[in-house]
Amino acid sequence: MLRFVVRRLLLLVPILLGLSLLVFFWIRALPGGPAQALLGERATAESIAEIEELYGLDKPVHEQYFTYLGTVVKLDFGTSITSRRPVTDEIRERFPATIELALAAMLFSVLVGIPLGFVAAKRYGGVVDHLSLVGSLIGISIPIFFLAILLKYLFAVKLGWLPTVGRISVLIDVPHPTRFYVLDAIIAGNVEALVDTLKHLVLPAVALGSIPLAVIARITRAAVLDVQNEDYVRTARAKGLAPRVVDVRHVLRNALLPITTIIGLQAGLLLSGAVLTETVFAWPGMGTWLVDAIETRNFPVLQGGILFVALVFVLVNLLVDISYAIINPRIRYS
Amino acid sequence: MSVAELEAREIALERPSGLWHDAWHRLKRNPGAIVGFVLVLSFVLVAVFAPVLAPYDPRRQGLEGALGSSGPSLDHPFGLDQLGRDQLSRIIFGARFSLLIGIVSVAVGLSVGLVLGSIAGYIGGFVDTVIMRLMDVMLSIPGLLLAIGIVAMLGPGLTQIMVAVGATQIPIFARLLRGSILAQRENDFVLAARAVGVPRRTILASHILPNAISPVIVQGTLALATAIIDVAGLGFLGLGPQDPSTPEWGTMLTDTTRYLQTAPYLALIPGAAIVMSVLGFNLIGDGLREALDPKLRGRG
Repeated sequence: MLRFVVRRLLLLVPILLGLSLLVFFWIRALPGGPAQALLGERATAESIAEIEELYGLDKPVHEQYFTYLGTVVKLDFGTSITSRRPVTDEIRERFPATIELALAAMLFSVLVGIPLGFVAAKRYGGVVDHLSLVGSLIGISIPIFFLAILLKYLFAVKLGWLPTVGRISVLIDVPHPTRFYVLDAIIAGNVEALVDTLKHLVLPAVALGSIPLAVIARITRAAVLDVQNEDYVRTARAKGLAPRVVDVRHVLRNALLPITTIIGLQAGLLLSGAVLTETVFAWPGMGTWLVDAIETRNFPVLQGGILFVALVFVLVNLLVDISYAIINPRIRYS
Repeated sequence: MSVAELEAREIALERPSGLWHDAWHRLKRNPGAIVGFVLVLSFVLVAVFAPVLAPYDPRRQGLEGALGSSGPSLDHPFGLDQLGRDQLSRIIFGARFSLLIGIVSVAVGLSVGLVLGSIAGYIGGFVDTVIMRLMDVMLSIPGLLLAIGIVAMLGPGLTQIMVAVGATQIPIFARLLRGSILAQRENDFVLAARAVGVPRRTILASHILPNAISPVIVQGTLALATAIIDVAGLGFLGLGPQDPSTPEWGTMLTDTTRYLQTAPYLALIPGAAIVMSVLGFNLIGDGLREALDPKLRGRG
């Protein structure tokens, strides 16, 4: 097991190096070059020259790359053009918001998707099966921002059941030691704040979770249908085990492997989808931050944000791989 | 006549059923795929005959119904948009853009991915390692963010977002084709071709690629769906066509969401158009996947 983890960690090195190279050349391909990208469009010739000297942009390219690598390894992404604050500080504020949203979306899609897929398989060809099939097809065909807009319009604007934007009501004041607002509210023991943050989470999480929900439901259905016809399931039934015990211990447990695989694959989709969902609900996470950065041509933020998200994505994939190896011993030896 | 000869004649009487023949038979019996075909076919017909079908000029503005003050009527079944343009005509012309967007971005991803994947798969060794590690790096950036990065480099606009969305699909096609070629490379017919001295390039083009292509076709159809959604998403973020009169569905949806309270149909109709075209491609893609699956061959 340890060997597997070490091997996967070593495989990360070329990916991360390649990623840094890609971003490095990306900065150099930006309109106006890196110095102007750092300073903004209205930079003077002197300040551009100053920055070029400061960052060694007048040196040979390979030297520049190593200098760049040195700063990135220290997670130093420079200063935001608009706020004049270190990009890393802003990531520290924004990132928990996105993770909280992504986790809530994942929780929603797993808690609804697995039972839905299971019931659809059990009632194969029945009403639930057909409805879930149609639902999941529409789920993967609807643009996430369109769904988000529809949900917001229906439940927040028309019915007024849930808040339209943000993470917490303005009037509620809770300290934010972790910046995960749900956790913060629990730590503060403030029930009102907890209810309020959860209410703010519902719509964005449902919108973001819709595609994973559709995918998870489909895979669960297929996996359960596959496993149901296995000999060991027939044996379990034949020896007179209660149907519920067979379903949980034999069917669902063995169907779980493809399901966990697909849940892991949704991580990238959640990070991409978060950009769009956050924009609709003015969620102060990485997504809205990056979209603002495009509008203001804030390249240090774009560079740091994309690099950071890619890093998180690579690490999540690593964790997913390791967890498969724990669930399925066959992977470790291949 | 000997028994062997009789059997040979009987076997010869059975029509040879190739992969495509079987696949077509299975596809015809799949109700989902039929619905998909109908959706896509009507979508393509609308796109092709847009100038004939559209009752008005999609770009002509008017003050009579501006800001969604006039709802759907007999003259304008889908109403007038915020600038008094006929919504139906814009939806009809928008089909052209969506189809174009889908085809161009998939063509970018497919052609580059195809070349890289076949080189990696067929040559192998160091070339394979370099190409595939590069693909891994591209895959390590979530798709939409990669597209945003590319648009930041190229500037906003319809062509730019098509290239950007296409670029995000390169690694998917490259990986798929490489895997498929690796599986085909060791087949007996490839060895036979090599043994009789067929040049490497000809083996790749006429023996390996045709056999490795069916997963690519399935992925290509599904990629059309993803491309339409992704381009609409980039349009929603304000990176779409810079000429605001362009009737592109994603941009139309974005521009009208602020009138959701007073004229919900303005946003709902382009949204529904996107969903239906994407659904069509998804249904065909799913149908093709089942129809081309070798494990299912011979059933039905």
